[in-house]
Amino acid sequence: MMDKDKLRKADLFSGGIIFLLGLYIVSQSLQMPMKDSWGGVQNVWYVSPAIFPLFVGAMIMVLGGFLVRVAFKSVGLKGLTDVTGFLFSPQMTLFLKQAQNLRFFAILTLLLSFVFIMIPRIDFFLAAVLFLVVFIPMFYLDDHGLLKKMLMVYLGQMAVLILFFITGLNTGLESLMGYPGDILVLFFIVTFAVFAFSLVRRDELKRKKFRTCMILAVMTPILIGVIFKYLLMVPMPFEGMFVALTDAIWYFEF
Amino acid sequence: MVLLERMGSFFEIALGIVSDPTSLAILFGSVLLGIIFGAMPGLTSTLGVALLTALTYSMDTPLAMVCLLSIYVGGTYGGSYAAILINIPGTAAAAATALDGYPLACKGEGGRAIGLTTTSSAIGTAMSMLFVVSISPLISKFALQFTSFEFFLLAFFGILISGSLTSPDLVIKGWIAGFLGLFLACIGRDQLQFFPRFTYGISDLESGIEVVPVLIGAFGIPQIISVLKDKFQMGKAQKFQRILPELGTVIRNIPAIIRSAFIGVGIGAVPGIGEDIAGWVSYGTAKNTSKHPETFGKGELQGVIASETANNACVGGAMIPLLNLGIPGSPPAAMLLGALMLHGVTPGPMITFEHPTFIMEVAAILLLASMAMWVTGMLLAKQVVKILRIPTQIFMPIIGVLCIIGSYSLGLNIFNLYLMLPVGIVCYFLTEMGYPIAPLVIGVILGPMADENVRRALMVSQGSFMPVFQRPVALILFLIIVWTVVSQLPWYKRKMAGIKLAFLNKIGLNPK
Repeated sequence: MMDKDKLRKADLFSGGIIFLLGLYIVSQSLQMPMKDSWGGVQNVWYVSPAIFPLFVGAMIMVLGGFLVRVAFKSVGLKGLTDVTGFLFSPQMTLFLKQAQNLRFFAILTLLLSFVFIMIPRIDFFLAAVLFLVVFIPMFYLDDHGLLKKMLMVYLGQMAVLILFFITGLNTGLESLMGYPGDILVLFFIVTFAVFAFSLVRRDELKRKKFRTCMILAVMTPILIGVIFKYLLMVPMPFEGMFVALTDAIWYFEF
Repeated sequence: MVLLERMGSFFEIALGIVSDPTSLAILFGSVLLGIIFGAMPGLTSTLGVALLTALTYSMDTPLAMVCLLSIYVGGTYGGSYAAILINIPGTAAAAATALDGYPLACKGEGGRAIGLTTTSSAIGTAMSMLFVVSISPLISKFALQFTSFEFFLLAFFGILISGSLTSPDLVIKGWIAGFLGLFLACIGRDQLQFFPRFTYGISDLESGIEVVPVLIGAFGIPQIISVLKDKFQMGKAQKFQRILPELGTVIRNIPAIIRSAFIGVGIGAVPGIGEDIAGWVSYGTAKNTSKHPETFGKGELQGVIASETANNACVGGAMIPLLNLGIPGSPPAAMLLGALMLHGVTPGPMITFEHPTFIMEVAAILLLASMAMWVTGMLLAKQVVKILRIPTQIFMPIIGVLCIIGSYSLGLNIFNLYLMLPVGIVCYFLTEMGYPIAPLVIGVILGPMADENVRRALMVSQGSFMPVFQRPVALILFLIIVWTVVSQLPWYKRKMAGIKLAFLNKIGLNPK
């Protein structure tokens, strides 16, 4: 959590956003049937589906407004101009480049790409291995320079993956070979591992840490996948190359 | 006679669990897993319950309850390991434990402190079980008299009180978090007329948002981000020898244990208030009532006992409103409520009719979990402490994968992930800006209950709010809500400060 002075300044903005959200909820609720007929039922105001969201929206609006008032009383107009000035100053760029923020962007990139790009399209095992192969060393190696380089490579890989699906290359390649997306991700896993190894190969301690990272990154998805898929009978979000292989082994479908 | 019957049923259930090797293995395994989750700073018992909810989805309800309650009990206790040995509370619940636990460990009495926390935690959990058994029927009977107005006001009170007591910054932020939760609960088709609200034509939103993925996101994702972003570093654990506490020390501290258990149960029973507050309140009480308050913070055994007994007693306390009113008493209890709903059990006043032995089952599991916790704590403490050597940077990404597969597996819907992750990211920002997450979660859970009941109540009263003032319970709840709000207003605070000053002047204790 931030310190008190920063919190009050942030409250000016969070309170404003919350106030606007409340306003939006109220405006949307007012479009819901209040007294008119819905589904053959003539409404009265007190059974309207709008009643509760209206109340919630109004409360959010009031509380958001109150928060802005409290924050404004605490930091005054100077606080507001300080924050808006900071947002559009070169200091903001420096702030965003801070090591802590870079780590935050790295975590967000990894989580968002895993959920929104890989899980719906790539075999879960492979997607999870790539996620962990990048995620664990990025933080466990504890080196800002390495994190930056790894993040750049991973962003490049994700850009290629997005293009691969947007251009429809995956469907085109599917007629030529099975699981083109999975093969691409497998290629990414190998190239990333090789790249990361090249970064740490001269440092014995980091090399040791890297080995641990790779073992965990590969073994964890296999363990989790086997538990969910074969013991709890939960089908994976996307089943591709690796699931076909484990299915063949598990059910002896040679 | 009824008491004997209940006791018979209680022991029959307990014996059933003990005599079944699978249940027994799950009991000990979950307690151990809970201790590990609690011991590792960055992981919490709420997250443990959340992740295990996915794994227990395909189990029978009683077995799933053994699993979830055991991890809850183990997780609450496990936080004390890191608090005592590295001065970093494994969970927020153990924050007060660190104050005296770490100085004890520095004096070479870490083993003694762990032994006493294990014993007092076990006694605290077992005592809270007694309250679950004895108070539940009374509350359940009382709650049967509730009408829709009372349920609406109760839900509203739960959100407000949770917002007031859990907010680390301004109380208003706790309330905002609660209302944001209520807004999330509005999404989907409404329960009475099936009108789509805030669905934007997305069919996955029609049935409303799935509670468990939202809870996993709200508790798991902010934890992952904050631990990795802030480069959390684990300290070196202090060494310790003997764990088994001396019987004499335990007996000498029995009054403190009983008092702390009462505090824990009482605080646990207040909707949405977690084990951390129970620990602090109990620690404060122990310090204020001690003959040597100056020894607190320097390695006082009573401090450790007070906080650990209360936070574990809070587990049972949290079960009381959860089982009888359908209102979770703490964040892990909110997770449990989600899990129970997945298993087709709807807690509330009707639970004694729909599932007559359910409360007894919960009580029996709590007792067995406390025993399993004591045995595991005594036998495996030295091994569990080794876990503290694992860097958080290794297990946090793995927790990320577990959060994702866990959210997906509950309903086999990728859309759950599209919901879980943004909710988690928003919750991270909210946490950073001093908004508590517990009221938001309570809001998501109690939203449908509040919505349905307020409209049903108004339907019965033909749009009149008069029953609120005509029904005693509704009126009391209404007055408490009004007081909760008014007590936070600046003029009220000024007025109260004035009255206090005038009173002190009158009795000759003017602070000037």
